[in-house]
Amino acid sequence: MPTRKLVLAVSAFSALTLLATGCSSGSDSSASDKKTITIWSSMDQPIIDGLKAKVNPEAKAQGITVQWRKVDNINQIIVQKVQANDAPDIALLPQPGIIKDFATKGKVTPLDDVLDIPALQKSMTPGTLDVAKVNGKTYGLMVSMNVKGLVFYPKKAFEAAGYTAPKTLDELNALTEKIKADGKTPWCLGIEAATATGWPATDWFENLVLKYGGVDKYNEWISHKIKFDSPLVRQAAAQFEKIAFTDGNVLGGRKSIASNNFGTAGNPMFQSKPGCYMYQQGSFITGFFPKAVQKNLDSEVGVFGLPPVTAGGDNPVEGGGDTASIYQDSPAARKVMKLLAATDVGTTAAKNGSSFISPHKDFPLSNYPLKTTQSIAKVAYDSTGFAFDGSDAMPTAVGTGSFWKEMTAWISGQESLDAALKNIDASWPVS
Amino acid sequence: MVSQVLSTVLTVLAGVAAALVVYWVLNKLAEALPGPWENRIKPYFYVAPAVAAIGVYLVYPTIITVINSFKNSDGSRFVGVENFVKLLQTPAFRQTLLNTLLWIAIVPAACIVVGLFVATLADRLSFRAEKAAKTIIFMPMAISAVGSATVWRFMYAAQPAGQPQTGLLNGIVTAFGHDPVPWLQQSTLHSNSLLLMVMLLWGQAGFAMVLLSAAIKGVPAETLEAARLDGAGEMRIFWRVILPQIRGTVITVFVTVLITVMKVFDVIYVTTNGAFNTNVVGLEFFNQLYTNYNYGYASAIVVMLLIAIVPIMIYQIRHFRAEEPA
Amino acid sequence: MTTQTTGTITPAASRRFRPARRGAQASPGRSGRRSPLPVKLSVLFVCALWIVPTLGVVITSFRTVDAANSSGWWSLLAHPGGLADLTTGNYSKAIEQADLGSAFFNSVAITLPAVFVPLLIAAFAAYAFTFMRFKGRDALFIVIVSLLVVPNYVAFVPIIKLYSDVNLNGTFPAAWLAHIGFGMSLAVYILRNYMATLPKDVVESAKIDGASHFQTFYRLILPMSAPALASFAIFQFLWVWNDLLVALVFVGPGDKQPITIATNNLFGQQGTGWELVTAGGLFSMLVPILVFLTLQRYFVRGLTSGAVKG
Repeated sequence: MPTRKLVLAVSAFSALTLLATGCSSGSDSSASDKKTITIWSSMDQPIIDGLKAKVNPEAKAQGITVQWRKVDNINQIIVQKVQANDAPDIALLPQPGIIKDFATKGKVTPLDDVLDIPALQKSMTPGTLDVAKVNGKTYGLMVSMNVKGLVFYPKKAFEAAGYTAPKTLDELNALTEKIKADGKTPWCLGIEAATATGWPATDWFENLVLKYGGVDKYNEWISHKIKFDSPLVRQAAAQFEKIAFTDGNVLGGRKSIASNNFGTAGNPMFQSKPGCYMYQQGSFITGFFPKAVQKNLDSEVGVFGLPPVTAGGDNPVEGGGDTASIYQDSPAARKVMKLLAATDVGTTAAKNGSSFISPHKDFPLSNYPLKTTQSIAKVAYDSTGFAFDGSDAMPTAVGTGSFWKEMTAWISGQESLDAALKNIDASWPVS
Repeated sequence: MVSQVLSTVLTVLAGVAAALVVYWVLNKLAEALPGPWENRIKPYFYVAPAVAAIGVYLVYPTIITVINSFKNSDGSRFVGVENFVKLLQTPAFRQTLLNTLLWIAIVPAACIVVGLFVATLADRLSFRAEKAAKTIIFMPMAISAVGSATVWRFMYAAQPAGQPQTGLLNGIVTAFGHDPVPWLQQSTLHSNSLLLMVMLLWGQAGFAMVLLSAAIKGVPAETLEAARLDGAGEMRIFWRVILPQIRGTVITVFVTVLITVMKVFDVIYVTTNGAFNTNVVGLEFFNQLYTNYNYGYASAIVVMLLIAIVPIMIYQIRHFRAEEPA
Repeated sequence: MTTQTTGTITPAASRRFRPARRGAQASPGRSGRRSPLPVKLSVLFVCALWIVPTLGVVITSFRTVDAANSSGWWSLLAHPGGLADLTTGNYSKAIEQADLGSAFFNSVAITLPAVFVPLLIAAFAAYAFTFMRFKGRDALFIVIVSLLVVPNYVAFVPIIKLYSDVNLNGTFPAAWLAHIGFGMSLAVYILRNYMATLPKDVVESAKIDGASHFQTFYRLILPMSAPALASFAIFQFLWVWNDLLVALVFVGPGDKQPITIATNNLFGQQGTGWELVTAGGLFSMLVPILVFLTLQRYFVRGLTSGAVKG
């Protein structure tokens, strides 16, 4: 009689385990007297490790245990969890648009009485404190920043061929032509990201819209006061098309873009005979480069920001960041939030060689062990304006939905640009 | 770690014990009733927990969903059939429906074909070879959708031409000197949907095979021998003797896989997330809910799915009634 | 198992599917031929098709990031020289980074009650549906059967709201109850069909001997239904263990997350290399494959004589 044997076996097994473990197990503190603060984020593990190493001892000194959790797909999950009254104490979201949405529904705690906002105003890169502001109240604090619209190149080969960083978009196009004329492939380009396929293409778009339109027009665009089907966006599209669709510009050609994983797409730059000479991505991408390159990042990799339209002119920079908010208010959560707001919170994360960049402009550049990171941070700290990643600030139906999908459809040749832009406009939720 | 093991064991025991206690109490309760009432009430006590579970987790949500399908995106106001009309007017959604139909038309049938093929042929192998073959075919059933997405990535991945390929299919294609093909983006003739169907087939065919194989073994040897004596070829025997006798199993397997396919969501979610025209109804529901926060559309989609499922339900019930001894 | 039940696979099938005896009666009865070469080759071919994809994952899980990114996994088969570069480091790294160890126990804690409790509940219900007479019995059963086709994601939003009223979200019972609810119609269906094939006179004679329903159920029917119980248990086990969605919605990432969520977190937009995802993925497949391999015999037996009716 197998069933009964099974039951017997199970109970015998559990009895044994009980015996074996009974003496050694300590008391399991499952009580929720809020001595433990849970923080969710989707940041890279090395950044989490760095912040953890800095914050946890400080919190411990105040009698608080901080638990960090890496959560994939955090934007969708946090929405479910807030609906379910099961949110963590603190979460760092890459999409401040969601925080704003929560703020209007009263699901996150305003930080104005928690943090010293005027002091932060001085300390942080202009614009970074405003990403989650609703009706004059601050609901989110950016803890880790990343800079987008960076063009990485294989330093040795690039310099050996006599190429130099362009000062304007026209120069960038000229450089592209020059590399091609030398019989080489200028660009690597890949927008595949499994479930999130298409987002690297939206970065391209946002950067170009920002360069052509400036911060104000850009903000009008991400709040849909300027439509996708507009001269400004089409101008950006034309520039992207020039780079991406022209024959010979992209390794593997246009048809390879949508299936090429963004994480590894830039790696051909570092082959002995470079497969391409430029790869546009955010600052975090260095963590994806081959291990051998990462070891000698400063000598292997060069970087410049996507250039402005006119040399020396308005040159805003696009970036993103992970923004912390309090979802379950408690004295302990507020204390941890204060720790996260300190300029030096990122010291360990920066020093351990992760891709961490502090949003505090008074964060000493010398904390970044690598020249590469220093120059990336400098691009941000020196910019004429900081604009938050547009697709992360748009409503999710667009920012993580139609914008990704329509760009992908256009790039893979399944749709005309016209149809793609119109479809995105149509998908914008009517409020 | 140790305390975790302990608490795991305790929770398991507590869970099962709690269920047992409920029945014991219910049974005692029924026995405490006077004479005939005990026998009248007891059956209901026995089925009550099951019915309650189904009521809470399937019936109640279905009703809520039907109601919400007539409401706006956040469920605050009734909008009539607007959700349905708008959805059906969207070309992308019509493509989604078409894709779902393709899945329904192809996958269950393909499962039966592969299942029958392997079951019939493996039946002629030695016992050990048959067992090994069946285990191999069945194994993917134990692999989750996330697992199978990982598995198939190493088949379908595409790198730019000239770069080393990490997907086997493109490894083969480039070895013959062709350019790599971005498999999952080729929506011509829905070929990418077909490739995703292969993933589901890979997972489900084993199930079909095992059940069909058992059915084939149940075909009386005398009928086969009689046919053979009549000089029938093996193909003819299969079609004329075996197939009619396992018809019932074929139908059951077909319906089971069909139900799985109609609900399919995860295979596509973890691979293309519906891009490149691979979207299906189940995934669209999920994205309407969690990306677009449009509860009205999401509910309307499910209601359409439920309507499509009704004929299968009716068939299922008829089939079931027919085989019940009166 | 001493009780012989009549198989219902086909109308004429009076003998049960009994693998152990297959060898004895194999060749003469079946085809009159011993597996001809084309048959062997076709089966071999299909098996190869089925196993090759898995091979890619297994191999990648032992390779370094750079190797995995810069060459196809099959190149290792062509150049066995690369074998020296293989590493088991991915496993320890994946297990550590995604906290797969505690996630593993969470999976156990979610899965076991989610398998055994519905089994018990369904067995009681199936017993009542088979051996007891009561008003509305057939109608009720048909409703249960027809609900087999309702997709479980329909329930997510209403149930989340229900749970948040009682603060159940993010706990193990949230997942247990959900899996009990979602698995119930299949469980009742399989068990009821199997019990219907059990000889009625056994129950009758037990009644004459003065056994109560509870005793009959516990002493007779439950042991006799072992194959069907086992096959549902396996079904439910695979389903719950491999489930990502229900876990994500009702339990979520955190200290109670099961292994599927933990593995999934290895992915990500700015994700980790495939070498960790494959290692983590294989680690999570270990248990279901082992369970499956050891119990597949019961799986087939319970289903073929119960759920599958011709």
